[in-house]
Amino acid sequence: MELLLQTLINGILAAGIYALVASGLALAVGVVGIVNFAHGEFSMIGAFVSYLLFVSAGIDPLISLGLAALVLFSVGAITYYGLIRPVLAAPELNQMLLTFGISVALQNIALLVFGADTRVVSTSYQGSTIALGSISFGVPPFAAFVLSVALLGALYWFLGKTRLGFAVRAVAQNRLAPGLLGIETQQIYLLAFGLSAALAGVAGVMLSVMLYASPTVGFAYTLKAFAIIVMAGLGNLRGVVPAAIILALAEAVVSTYVPGGGGWVEAVFFLVIFVALTWRSWRVR
Amino acid sequence: MILAGVLLLVALVLPGLPLGQWRAFMLDAAQFAFLISGLALAWDLLARTGQLSLAHGAFFGLGAYAAALSAPALGTIPALLLGGATASLSSLLLGLATLRLQGMYFAIATLAFSEVMRTLVLKSQFTGGSIGLPVQPAFAGAYPLGGYYLAVALLIICTLVSLLLSRSRLHYAMAATRQGEAVARVLGVSVVRVKLVTFTISAFLAGLAGGVYAMKTLFLSPYDAFGLGRAVEALVIPIFGGLYTTTGPLLGGLIIVSLETWLRLRIGEGYLVVYGVILVLTILFLPKGLMSLFARQKGARHA
Amino acid sequence: MLKVTGLTKRFGGVVAASKVNLEVHEGEILAVIGPNGAGKSTLLNLLSGLVRPDAGRIEFLGQDITHAAPEFRTWKGLGRAFQIVQPFPEMTVRENLMVGALYGKPGTSMPTAQKVVQQVIELTGLAAKADTEAGELTLLEDKRLELARALCTQPRLLLLDEVMAGLRPAEAMEAVELVKQIRASGVTVLFIEHLMPVVRALADRVVVMDYGEVIAAGGYVEVAANARVREAYLGRSA
Repeated sequence: MELLLQTLINGILAAGIYALVASGLALAVGVVGIVNFAHGEFSMIGAFVSYLLFVSAGIDPLISLGLAALVLFSVGAITYYGLIRPVLAAPELNQMLLTFGISVALQNIALLVFGADTRVVSTSYQGSTIALGSISFGVPPFAAFVLSVALLGALYWFLGKTRLGFAVRAVAQNRLAPGLLGIETQQIYLLAFGLSAALAGVAGVMLSVMLYASPTVGFAYTLKAFAIIVMAGLGNLRGVVPAAIILALAEAVVSTYVPGGGGWVEAVFFLVIFVALTWRSWRVR
Repeated sequence: MILAGVLLLVALVLPGLPLGQWRAFMLDAAQFAFLISGLALAWDLLARTGQLSLAHGAFFGLGAYAAALSAPALGTIPALLLGGATASLSSLLLGLATLRLQGMYFAIATLAFSEVMRTLVLKSQFTGGSIGLPVQPAFAGAYPLGGYYLAVALLIICTLVSLLLSRSRLHYAMAATRQGEAVARVLGVSVVRVKLVTFTISAFLAGLAGGVYAMKTLFLSPYDAFGLGRAVEALVIPIFGGLYTTTGPLLGGLIIVSLETWLRLRIGEGYLVVYGVILVLTILFLPKGLMSLFARQKGARHA
Repeated sequence: MLKVTGLTKRFGGVVAASKVNLEVHEGEILAVIGPNGAGKSTLLNLLSGLVRPDAGRIEFLGQDITHAAPEFRTWKGLGRAFQIVQPFPEMTVRENLMVGALYGKPGTSMPTAQKVVQQVIELTGLAAKADTEAGELTLLEDKRLELARALCTQPRLLLLDEVMAGLRPAEAMEAVELVKQIRASGVTVLFIEHLMPVVRALADRVVVMDYGEVIAAGGYVEVAANARVREAYLGRSA
């Protein structure tokens, strides 16, 4: 019983980051309409930003969060403006391939610059845990969870209660043919994509503490984020959080209860994607 | 076309050329180029029906492992065929399940499939798991150039299949399926059958390539055989070279794999960056691939 | 040759087809008319198999095709031309037609298909553009292509979906002549149309639909005089 509870708690805590990354991706896919295979790489950049700041200037990741968000927002905006915008009018295939190419390129550039080793940001509170009765969880995962919840709350507030957020949602509901894009819509796309990258970047900072910074750290999250938004249903921003929780819980349960579970964990996500996609396709006629 | 002929001719005589100290390296690099180009040609076949697969890495891997495991018992050629058949069978199952998925969804489903396959191979005992699997060389090492010529044969087979299909009546059905599935059905095209047939042929070739690859590298690991690198190569090359053609993947394969090999010498890990950059540049500036530069010529047919 | 009984289709809360009964006799030209949203296009989609009915039965040449796949229906001789033309953009006109000719009937050989394509090209006046890429055609040529492509499947019953839409009067008249020629060559025609002059010129019989139901059937004059039909077209100001 205790093991189960602990497992569930771990799952929920992990869901925070998953939801963060997935929400970012949902923004890119739902608002801009671009299948961004390079989304995880934004997290990867965030992780390295955090690492570099920590190692060179001793800046605590908690502060790096804000810096990373800004950096990634800019990176996202530039990527959108320079690379994405030209292909919005092209077939979906081309868009997918473009972001796929960006993903491969970014991963390998990072590999070239930093090497394949994993770099960990070891803060003083790295290993400390909080104990509630017989359940315990680490401070970093807990902090990450709390931060994710706060950020997602802010995101939903922004989307739901502000004028600009409303405009973003409107664009998501009714994407115009690219040829008809007015200036306002273009700005919304820029904003959405930048936000998408920023969210991923923030998640990356958390990863640098809880996991490590490495060239391929983001890739797994891209795929998981896709799993989540596919499960939630494309364009359904609100479904992202429940889907993230379900998948994170499934992952935690498999990790704990399936012998040799570590390796199967990845497969869980993919099985879920696969089943969800094919199931849906066979139900509609 | 002539270009393809010249390439194949060079491939055939390469071992006989005076290459001095570069010989071993060049033969090895050439083998790799042939296999990857073959894989690219196989991928292109499926692309002609409008299905963009990220599972070809898995087919390659399945073929590699199946051939490696069965070679001691069956001999080289039957093992290779078994590798192809294994990949084919899995593609049939995958295809049946994912039939109704379009575009991005199909791609993601195939990616999911690949990852699950990789995990399975990683976790299984009889495949050597994460430690890897040693592989007998082709023909148990009886012919020193056996592996090399197997690779050439593979490339020739893939090229022929690609050419024949684009000249067959099936190419009408494939193109129609790609360019307008609903309309194609109303015109009487059995879209499901077309997709499945193409899928199995494409996977068979990929599996064959994987088997030959296994016998070349003499050691298989799931990270290598099932790595995303293969899937990336399989798709970037046709896109760069020119989709739905035969010369496109051939020429593109030659150029890109040469670049990759050169980069691998220079910068080690991270050479895949060339694929990423080329893909991005191609999409932005030359979306129809290299072949579009030659398209003015007569007889440039789109399958 | 075609018998539809009790065909019903709902999309969510909207009843697109409600217990539709319909018969098409061999050799005739039947028009299906009705105000916008009456369910005419849905009917064609149900007939050609792109949409599955919730209830009802479709019998073609004595065979039950209610749940048959679209390609199966085509093989049996039920052809269709779409309203919004979707040519295969990367193929030439001739290649587009070859698709229909090769696959419209099982077991068609290449030479036979090529002959059929050539005949249809001449019939529909596409000879000049036969080797142009289909993505580069004008609207009129597009429509001819659509019709031609359906013809290449050698249908016995051809379903036409508002093929006159967007044509100028002279072009429409040409199209009318073409349809007559098609019937003369032994093909039965069912067409959906908005333009009354065309209906009057072509149709042997008329079926009127409204809100997914068949509300009248008969000759043109008879149907035009029908009070319910008038109400459907004119009397809905509220």
